[in-house]
Amino acid sequence: MVARERLTQLKQRFGPAIQRADLPAEDRLFVFVDADAVRDVCRHVFRELDARYVITVGADDRPYSGTYLVAHNFAFDRDHVLVSVLTHVPPEQPALDSISDVVPAANWAEREMRDLVGIEPVGHSYPKRLVLPDAWPEGVHPLRKDFAMNQVPEGLDDTREFAFDEPPPGCTVVPFGPFHPTLDEPAHFRLYLEGERVRGCEYRGFMAHRGIEKLAESVMTYNDIPMLAERICGICGCVHNVAYAQAVESAAALRTPPRAEYIRTILLEIERLHSHLLWTGLACHIVGFDTLFMQCFRIREPVMWIAEKISGNRKTYALCLIGGVRWDITPALKTELLGVVDTLDREWRPVVAAVSRDKNIQKRTRGVGVADKTLVKNAGLVGPVARASGVAIDCRRDHPYAAYDRLQFDVVTADDADVWSRLMVRMHEVFEATRIIRQCLDRMEPGPLQLPIHDELPAGRMGLSSVEAPRGESHHFVITGENNRPRRWRVRAPTYQNLQGIPAMIKDQQLADMTISLGSIDPCFSCTDRLETVDLRTGAARVWTEAELKQLARHTS
Amino acid sequence: MTLPPLIPLAGAAANIAVVLLAAPLFEGLLRKLTARIQSRQGPPLLQPYFDLLKLLGKEDIESGETPRMQRFAVYLALATVLTVACLVPMGFPAPLDAVGDAILLIYLLTLAGICTLLAGLAAGSTFSVLGISREMMSMMLLEPLLAVALVTGAVHTRSFRLDTLLNGSVYASGGVPWSGLILLGVLLLSFQGFVQRVPFDIAEAETELMEGPLMEYSGPKLALFKYAQMSKLVVYSSLAVGLFIPWGSELGFPWAWLLFWGKVLAFVLLVTLVAATHARYRIDQAIRYFATLLAAALGALLLASCGL
Repeated sequence: MVARERLTQLKQRFGPAIQRADLPAEDRLFVFVDADAVRDVCRHVFRELDARYVITVGADDRPYSGTYLVAHNFAFDRDHVLVSVLTHVPPEQPALDSISDVVPAANWAEREMRDLVGIEPVGHSYPKRLVLPDAWPEGVHPLRKDFAMNQVPEGLDDTREFAFDEPPPGCTVVPFGPFHPTLDEPAHFRLYLEGERVRGCEYRGFMAHRGIEKLAESVMTYNDIPMLAERICGICGCVHNVAYAQAVESAAALRTPPRAEYIRTILLEIERLHSHLLWTGLACHIVGFDTLFMQCFRIREPVMWIAEKISGNRKTYALCLIGGVRWDITPALKTELLGVVDTLDREWRPVVAAVSRDKNIQKRTRGVGVADKTLVKNAGLVGPVARASGVAIDCRRDHPYAAYDRLQFDVVTADDADVWSRLMVRMHEVFEATRIIRQCLDRMEPGPLQLPIHDELPAGRMGLSSVEAPRGESHHFVITGENNRPRRWRVRAPTYQNLQGIPAMIKDQQLADMTISLGSIDPCFSCTDRLETVDLRTGAARVWTEAELKQLARHTS
Repeated sequence: MTLPPLIPLAGAAANIAVVLLAAPLFEGLLRKLTARIQSRQGPPLLQPYFDLLKLLGKEDIESGETPRMQRFAVYLALATVLTVACLVPMGFPAPLDAVGDAILLIYLLTLAGICTLLAGLAAGSTFSVLGISREMMSMMLLEPLLAVALVTGAVHTRSFRLDTLLNGSVYASGGVPWSGLILLGVLLLSFQGFVQRVPFDIAEAETELMEGPLMEYSGPKLALFKYAQMSKLVVYSSLAVGLFIPWGSELGFPWAWLLFWGKVLAFVLLVTLVAATHARYRIDQAIRYFATLLAAALGALLLASCGL
C-alpha cells in the first residue's frame, strides 16, 4: 500500500511534526502537520518525493475546530495516490509560511487563499491581489463563515483602480483583453512589447468571479451543487459535475453502482470529443485557417446531437447526483452512439492526416509556446500541455475513477513541448475517446443507476477527486458539513495551473504567436459592464453606467 | 492621342462604373466558393452589395483619435484604387493611358498602401499602430515587385508608356522570354499579398490585431474602405492580366472583353482557393518569403537587361 509507505517516509523524516494521519482509502492520504513544518514537508514532498503540486485550499474552520485550516494537495501520479498536507492555523492574525518559493506552482493558490479566506502567506514573493475585484476593501474576506453570501462589504469603492507593475525599460505596453476576439472570456494580459517581440506580461483575471463556492457553502444542498458545478465551465461542465459528486462520494465512502460509473465515463468522453474538436477548430481559426475550423465544427455537430439525445441538452448534461446518474443509455441510444463514434473516426482520420502534412500550420505552431519539463513541474501544468512535453500524466490512468480502471486506452504524448505537439496530442486523443466509448458500451451490464442513500452524510469528512478534463486535471476538494451541504468546496480547474505557465511560454516570442500560445483557455464570456437601451417607439437611446447597472442588478436580485 | 478629350473621360467613367459594379459581385463569388470549400451553404451571391448598403446606412461614428485624417484616408483609398482603374485596360484600351506613364502607376499603387498607414495612424490605438507597422514592412517588399515587373517591361520595349507596358511587355524580349516567365511565377506567388488575403492578411489579422488599422472604422466609412478593398481585387487582377496574360485583347469587342473578364475571374478563383487552404503567415515569415521573391524578380530584371 503506497499511501502508507509515503506516510512512513514522512514520519521518519519529520517525526513529531506529523501530528496525525488519515488513510481513508489506499489511494488517499491526509497528513496533519505542525504549522512550522509545513514548508519543509511540502518541499520534501514536491522536490525529494517528486510529487506533483495540485492546489492549496484555505478554509474557515473556526465554527468547528476554532482554527483556520490550510491544505496543500499533491499527487503521486506514478503511485496513484492523492495526498493532502493539512495544518491548523490559529484564528487570531491567521498566517502561514508561504511555500511558493519551494513550490512555484502555489503562487496563485496562496494569493487566492489570502484574498478569499484571509490567511496570510508569509514570505510570498509576489503577494499581489489576485481574485478580489479592484473595488473590494482590504481586510474583508468573502469565504469566511462570518461573511454572508449576499453581503456587500463596507468601503466598496468603485473608483479604485488596479495598480499595474512598471513595464521593463524600452518596452511598450499592449493591452490584450479584457475583450479580444480570440479570448472569449474577460481576462487581461498587459504585454510588454519590444517591437513585435513579447518581453513579459502581467495578468489580471478573475473578472467574472461568480462566487460559486460561497453560494454552494451557504445556500445549496449536496444534490443541488452538481448542477451548479456544471455551470463553472461552458465546455467541460460535466467534468466538474462528476468531480464534485466523486469528491463527496469519496468523503462519505459511497460506492456508485457500476452502470452509473460506465455512464459517467461515456458522457465524460463525449465531452472530451466535443471539446477537442472545438479546440482544434479554434486553433486553426487563430492561425487564420478557417476552412479546417469549419470542417472541425461540422464533424463535431453529431456529437452535440447525441449528447442532446442522451441528456436533453447539447451541453450542460446535468448528469450526476451523489451516488449515481440521472440518465440511462437505452439500447436505441447505444446503437446510435456507436454510429456517431464510427462516423467520427472515419471523418476525423483525413483531418488528422491533412493537418499532420500541412507545412503551413507547422510553420505557425512548431517551436511556439514551448513549455519544457522544468516549467511543467514548477508551474504544475496539466493535461495535453504536460503530455505534449513528454510528461505522461493522465488522471484517468493515474487516479482512476468512474469505470476507467476497467478500460484499455493509451496516454497520448509528444516530445516537442510546443503548440504543434499539443495539437497532435489532442487530435490523437479523439481516437482514444472513441475507443473508450466503444468499450463502455460493450461492457456495460444492466443495473441500478443510483445508490440509495438513506442516512445523512457524516460531517467533517474530507474528499478529494481528480478528473481528467479535456484541458487537464480538474481537482475538487470537499469537507462535508451540516445542513445537507458541504462546509468547504474548492474547485481547481486545469486552466488555473496552465495559465500560470503562459508568461514563461510567451516570453521572447512574436506577438503573433501570443494568441495561439494562449489558445487552450476555455471560452467563458460572461460579464459586460455597461449596456445601451434604445426605446423603439421614441428612438431615444440611453447609456447605462456601471453604477446604475449594479443598482439594477442588486435591486432585482 | 488624337481622340477628343470627351472620349477618354467617358471611358474613365465607364471603367470606374464597371469596377464599382463588379467588385462586390466578385467578392460574393469569393465568399460563396469559400463557403463551398468549407462545407457551408454560404451567403447569397449578392450579399456584399447588401452589406455595403447596410453599412452605408448606419450612423457615422468617428471614434479614432484624428477623425479628419480618418475621413481623408478612406476617401483617398477609394479614389486611388479607382484612379488606377482608369489607367488599366479592361477589355478595351485603358481610357487614360495617355495622361501618365508607368511611374505614375507605381506611385498610385504605393499611395493605396499609404492610405492604410494614414487610417491606422488616425485610429491611434496600439493595435492599429502594430497593424500599420506590419503593413509597411510588407509594402516595402511587395511594391518593388510590381515596379520591377513594369521596369522589366520597359527595358524590353524601351518605353514607359502604359499602353505598351500593359500589353504583355514582360515577354517582349527576343526568343524565350525567361525574365517574363520568372516574373509571372513571382506574381502568382505574391498575388495574395497584393490583395491582402490569407495567408498575407497579416496587417488586419482579426484574431491577433482585431482588424488593425481598420479597427476604429464603422458605418459608411467602413463601407468605403471595404469597397476599396473589393475594388483592389478587381484592379490588381486587371493589372496582372494586362502585364502577364494580355493575349486575346486584339480580338475586338465582345470577345476581347469577355476573355478579359474571364481572366479576371480566374484570378479571383485562384485567390479564393489559396485563401481557403492556408493558414496566416507570421510577419517575419511573410517578409522572408517576399524577400526571396524580390531577389528572384531582381534576377529577372538582370536577365532582361541582358536581352533575355
